[in-house]
Amino acid sequence: MDSIISRKDVHAQLEKIGSADILVGIPSYNNARTIGHVVRAVQAGLAKYFPDRKAVLVNSDGGSTDGTIDVVNQAGIEDFQSILLYHRVEPFFKIVTPYIGLPGKGSAFRSIFEIAVALNVKACAVVDSDLRSIAPEWIELLIKPVLDGGFDYVAPLYHRHKYDGTITNSIVYPLTRALYGKRVRQPIGGDFGFSGRLAAFYLSKDVWQTDIARYGIDIWMTTEAIANDFKVAQSFLGAKIHDPKDPGADLSAMLAQVTGSAFGLMETYKDVWKGVHGSESVPTFGFRYTVGLEQVNANVERMLAIFHAGLKDLRQIWLEVLGAGDLGEVESLKTRSDRDFRFPIRLWTRIVYDYALAYHKRKLPHGHLLKSLTPLYLGKTASFVMEAADMGQDEAEGEIEKLCLEFESSKEHLYNNWK
Amino acid sequence: MEEFIQLILEPMKEVFVKFKEFAPNLLAMMTIILVGILFARIMKAVLLRFMKAIKLDTWSDRMGLTAVMRKGDLWAKPSEAVGSLVFWTLIIVSLMFGLSSLKIHAIDSLVAQFILYLPRAFSAVLILVFGYIIAGFIGRAVLIAAVNSGYHYAKLLAEAIRLLLTVLILAMALEQLQVAPGIVVAAFSIIFGGIVLALAISFGVGGIDAARRMIEKEEERKQEKKDIEHM
Repeated sequence: MDSIISRKDVHAQLEKIGSADILVGIPSYNNARTIGHVVRAVQAGLAKYFPDRKAVLVNSDGGSTDGTIDVVNQAGIEDFQSILLYHRVEPFFKIVTPYIGLPGKGSAFRSIFEIAVALNVKACAVVDSDLRSIAPEWIELLIKPVLDGGFDYVAPLYHRHKYDGTITNSIVYPLTRALYGKRVRQPIGGDFGFSGRLAAFYLSKDVWQTDIARYGIDIWMTTEAIANDFKVAQSFLGAKIHDPKDPGADLSAMLAQVTGSAFGLMETYKDVWKGVHGSESVPTFGFRYTVGLEQVNANVERMLAIFHAGLKDLRQIWLEVLGAGDLGEVESLKTRSDRDFRFPIRLWTRIVYDYALAYHKRKLPHGHLLKSLTPLYLGKTASFVMEAADMGQDEAEGEIEKLCLEFESSKEHLYNNWK
Repeated sequence: MEEFIQLILEPMKEVFVKFKEFAPNLLAMMTIILVGILFARIMKAVLLRFMKAIKLDTWSDRMGLTAVMRKGDLWAKPSEAVGSLVFWTLIIVSLMFGLSSLKIHAIDSLVAQFILYLPRAFSAVLILVFGYIIAGFIGRAVLIAAVNSGYHYAKLLAEAIRLLLTVLILAMALEQLQVAPGIVVAAFSIIFGGIVLALAISFGVGGIDAARRMIEKEEERKQEKKDIEHM
């Protein structure tokens, strides 16, 4: 398969740069509105916290048509004194290139890994291009644990609205924590720091024609780092605020790509997770503070309508996946009124494990199986939104903790049925 | 008297001579059929073991083929049904070969026609089997996608698509078997075209309100506060 460094323009830039200490990657696709701010924050972060290090910014673009690339090329800090920087700053290089491969974030990351390996960098970070809340400190928090602390992987830790990140909160975090025993709170956060060694390790894997080349990249990076015993930490970055996602983005496809990647990794690392019991916290960096968060709208009525439609029309598929017992419990939920609708965490845990088992046993074509989880997931999300309506942030976090403990204590169900 | 006896013996002699000429052919036919039966039994046993090894019954359950067999009042296991189908096909083939060894002109031409028809029958069976699997796959994909996007008539839509595909597949199989091909093509065009037209009209007329609601909802969503983020 083609490599980004075989492109003439990229190759010429790499030859010119030679090698670097730090690389910050920004994957993008039509983010002209926000990427300028991200580039300036990265440049300020590098200048402020790593003034004596040679640094490269790589924008790996998916063929934007809104002038994203021009914005990246033009963006930069002209007056360093305005951000109170008076010291000498090492030259700052920019590589702006369209990536090669399947359209998706994973392919963009692959190009970033290739450039990182070619430049023999010591530490890398990747940040989303639609961030509004990124500050120069993010670069320090993602890079410094790698450069000075000897860590290989730094996951982000954010303050998010209690309703946000529901795929993370109800599936990915509890599942990853129960399987691999590390409490990485945002395993699919999107902004990560990692060592050059880990970038080379990622690049050695042949996964670029799968869902990992799309939304599955985040969970894949986190799982690979944990399962292969790389030193993992997390850094508190504050609030994560970004441009609203495209409302047309297909939730079902996102969910399928993320869960499919997580379930696929369970096959690869079955010997690892089978030996893990309980979980432990990972070193956490950054000064924790409270931040104000944007109000979030949650359309519970629509979520429940899709859940009930699933109960009516997907019964046969759910029976195949969940079995009569668990399906009976799910069906008993339909007798409750929308206001009293609650999804028991024990049942939800078994559903996720049943789906992982069905994926492993290939009970249905993977695409159908994973997409049939959407109505159940929306039922669970609607239940959480109603439960947490009057809760503060900490209380809501407490509910997620309860779910994680349920995932850990029910792991035996997964273990015993994995043949 | 002698002449009379001769008159009786002559046809008997002729029959005996003809039988003497015919006997080896008859023996050959019986041998071919017996060997055919033996071969068919062995093949069935081997096939059953193979299908058990590859877990055909489980796969068939999963793909919904078993359910279709049950609807058609076939209660044997799918592997046994395939075994029996192969067994009887081999029996019929050996019977045809056996009959052709009799070297009777009428039977020879019948056997030739049968053998020429075999590839068509085989293709038709393949079209039906694969067509059924593909129709089921697409029908299920449509059902899941429609449910996930909150479409009210998800099951109806999925069934309609499955029906359209089934009609298409049946027409293809019949065309392959050359069963009144002209009528099949005309009937298919009328039925398929009719269904599509009916769907277009019903969606067009019945969907005006739904389309309006969707557009209004989209507008409302744009004006609403920040929506929940799943990732």
